[in-house]
Amino acid sequence: MPRQKSAALERFALSNGLRVVVAPDASSQLVGVAVVYDVGWRSEPAGRTGFAHLFEHMMFQGSANVAKVEHMALVEGAGGVFNGYTRADITAYFQALPAGGLELALWLEADRMGSLAITEENLANQVAVVKEEINVNVFNQPYGGFPWIVLPETAFDSYPNSHNGYGAFEELERASVADAASFYETYYAPSNAVLAVAGACDPAEVAAYAERFFGPIPLRPVPAHGPWPEPPLSRPRHRLLHDGRAPQPAFVAGYRSPDPVNRLQDHLAYTVLAGVLAGSDASRLRRRLVHEERIVTDVSCELGIFGVDNFIMRDPVLLQVLVMHPGASSTEQILALVDAELERLADEGPTRDELERVAAAYSSGYWRSLDAVMERSITLASLEVVHGRAELLAELPGRIAAVAPEAVAAAAGELTGQQRTVVEVVPGAAQ
Amino acid sequence: MSLPRPEVTPLKALRKVRVDERELGGGLRSLVVKRSEVPLVEVRLVFPLSGRQMLRPAVPLVSSEAILAGTARHDRISLAEAVGRLGGTLGASAAGDTFVLYGSAFSQRYRQLLELMAEVLCTAAYPAEEVAADRARSADEMTIVLSRPETLAAEAVGRRLYGSHPYGAPLPRPEAVAAVTAARLKRFHSSLLHPSGAHLVVVGDLTAARATGLASEVLGEWLETPPASRSALPSLPAVATGPLELVDRPGSVQSNIRIAGPMPSRLEPEWPAVAAVNAVLGGMFSSRIVENLRERNGYTYSPYSSVRHMRAGSSGSIGADVSNEVTAAALVELRYEIARLATAGVSEEELQAARKYLIGTFLFQTATQASLASTLAALAATGVDPGYLSGHPARLARLEKSEVDAAARRYFSPSRLATVVVGEAEAVAGQLGELEQIELSRPFA
Repeated sequence: MPRQKSAALERFALSNGLRVVVAPDASSQLVGVAVVYDVGWRSEPAGRTGFAHLFEHMMFQGSANVAKVEHMALVEGAGGVFNGYTRADITAYFQALPAGGLELALWLEADRMGSLAITEENLANQVAVVKEEINVNVFNQPYGGFPWIVLPETAFDSYPNSHNGYGAFEELERASVADAASFYETYYAPSNAVLAVAGACDPAEVAAYAERFFGPIPLRPVPAHGPWPEPPLSRPRHRLLHDGRAPQPAFVAGYRSPDPVNRLQDHLAYTVLAGVLAGSDASRLRRRLVHEERIVTDVSCELGIFGVDNFIMRDPVLLQVLVMHPGASSTEQILALVDAELERLADEGPTRDELERVAAAYSSGYWRSLDAVMERSITLASLEVVHGRAELLAELPGRIAAVAPEAVAAAAGELTGQQRTVVEVVPGAAQ
Repeated sequence: MSLPRPEVTPLKALRKVRVDERELGGGLRSLVVKRSEVPLVEVRLVFPLSGRQMLRPAVPLVSSEAILAGTARHDRISLAEAVGRLGGTLGASAAGDTFVLYGSAFSQRYRQLLELMAEVLCTAAYPAEEVAADRARSADEMTIVLSRPETLAAEAVGRRLYGSHPYGAPLPRPEAVAAVTAARLKRFHSSLLHPSGAHLVVVGDLTAARATGLASEVLGEWLETPPASRSALPSLPAVATGPLELVDRPGSVQSNIRIAGPMPSRLEPEWPAVAAVNAVLGGMFSSRIVENLRERNGYTYSPYSSVRHMRAGSSGSIGADVSNEVTAAALVELRYEIARLATAGVSEEELQAARKYLIGTFLFQTATQASLASTLAALAATGVDPGYLSGHPARLARLEKSEVDAAARRYFSPSRLATVVVGEAEAVAGQLGELEQIELSRPFA
């Protein structure tokens, strides 16, 4: 009989500064291995937009003992899957395999952490691949890059916060092997990374492999991570975006939220607020805008850049209200209703039932996340990188449930008092 | 660092998935697996759409929204509140030839989840005003779906593979969606959502006895729905391999290339061999078309080969999204890799890698409650016995190169495949015309 999954974690650090988190789970036959580096596109150099993401691609192009494409062949040949992604503050590399692939996965991750091999030819190849990735997701799609590229561009002023993390084609084309070597030297140090292993594993065995494979990588200094402060807006911002491929209008309203690392308790009230506003058909904005007034096709409320990444980001983090609508009402009319709902919530506070439903959704989502070893390893490593506390994964459901109604009302009141950024998508090419 | 590369220890045995199968009355079959690792439960009720229903896809589409618009006891909002209190989800989806009512909750709230599902099945009210709002919203959403290039490519492939068969029906157009009435939704509901020929899948932290006992009790009234027959789907027509079809999408900066054809179903003996061919061609990252089109030529981000299983038959699609300038060059490389595989087969090393990949990743399909529930629902929908969960990996382990090469020859022969490209005709028709005869079409003609 498999045991119930538990939140128990073991942790240790190597002398070169690599931190290791292990979440053993005897009920699984799979093991998830994630290495998360404390670097994202907010740290990439000016004039090299998109470099952090391009570099992520280069991490799959070979190292001292692994040829180009061999990394993928070895993981897949062990019955595993793999991927990587780049966010504002982190870059994650991960795989999940049947249990017997653990040692191989750790060896592969150590080889590219210790001895990445980048050639001119491979770099040129991956610049071409990344440009096609951007074409697929941005230039050839309706609403491409909306809102994740265009909202930060409009809401922020500093280069780290405002620039496009996918990058401009001409800047990607200028990327050199020397740029890559310097980025690697600075940010891919063991002291700037967390290794997390979740699922079928023995923590003692993980410790032994980690020491054997990652231990020989020399200690390097920990690079600086921000801060990237931005003052609150002194006046509202508004931008029109003409999109020849979009068949319908849409808009996003961005608000500042409390620093998720240094003011976590305040940030949690905003997390609950987002659930109360748009977490289900019974939430306040969905109910009012979609089902009562029937003037929007969809409304969602999310924190972070992609909506679920607020706990793996540092300040500043936006709360976004995203609306798709058929154009029968103006953005101003819809925003007036959003404001009315926020004011009502600020005045009356949420009901006990609303808070319990948000907490229940968070709790069941947490258990579901424990069930998938790869996602669990990524989240543990990411939380350890950004908050220094992988335990947060297990604590969040309880802390969400403990948020007081007054805190949610106060958060709603703060939104109505803020100067916000609105980006509107106007269907059709610019006149 | 020069530590030798570690060897991989194979799993001693795949953990067996014990599926409890029963007849619950009214022709409903249940498939239950106890999974105690997390205190949740996943439920799927799986219904086969008829060919006629698939030919009017606007109705299932609006139904998947409006089915939750109100019942005898709840309006839409209070139903959503009730689901939320269970830590749950409740929804419906109409994809391809199958309609699914799905839900999840804390396993202690299984009874309450079933009660809400029973209420929806027996008393969904389709209030006229709510239906009007749902169809308007669904119509708006369809305009967005139809503006995506991959949608146009999938439709064009469907026309070539299935012609006038229900599988070839285009996606519903906004006008058709906006015209769906409450009366039609009620007729659709009663003709589809009855127990005969349907499947109930339950995976979660509860015993099969409790899962089925409560289902019989709570769904009792619904299980007594008078038995009704379901019409079989027509068999699939021959593929119109024809000339390359270029679907014009003015302003496209990329071309979506799709090469597609029929594949064996999971019930056919050749399926495991075809799964291996698909993996070697483009079903995994370390495959021929990824190595060629992405890692060597930099033409594309994520070229792939995949097989989709439906009730009347399975199909395969090989695809890549590439810049306008290299459309013809990329098509040549795709065709080359397909033809090379069909004529020269796989190497022993490739077969070994594919076998290990397919057996290892098969575990992911049964690893979590949610993935196992979806896997069982997909097997049930296509008439595949759950014994497939142990039989398929065992069969993969015994695959021989000769049967894989034969499957490559038979199913990946270029003469059996149709080619569709969605892109800007002005930019790519010339290049493609240099290669072969092309047939130009417009998406909404």
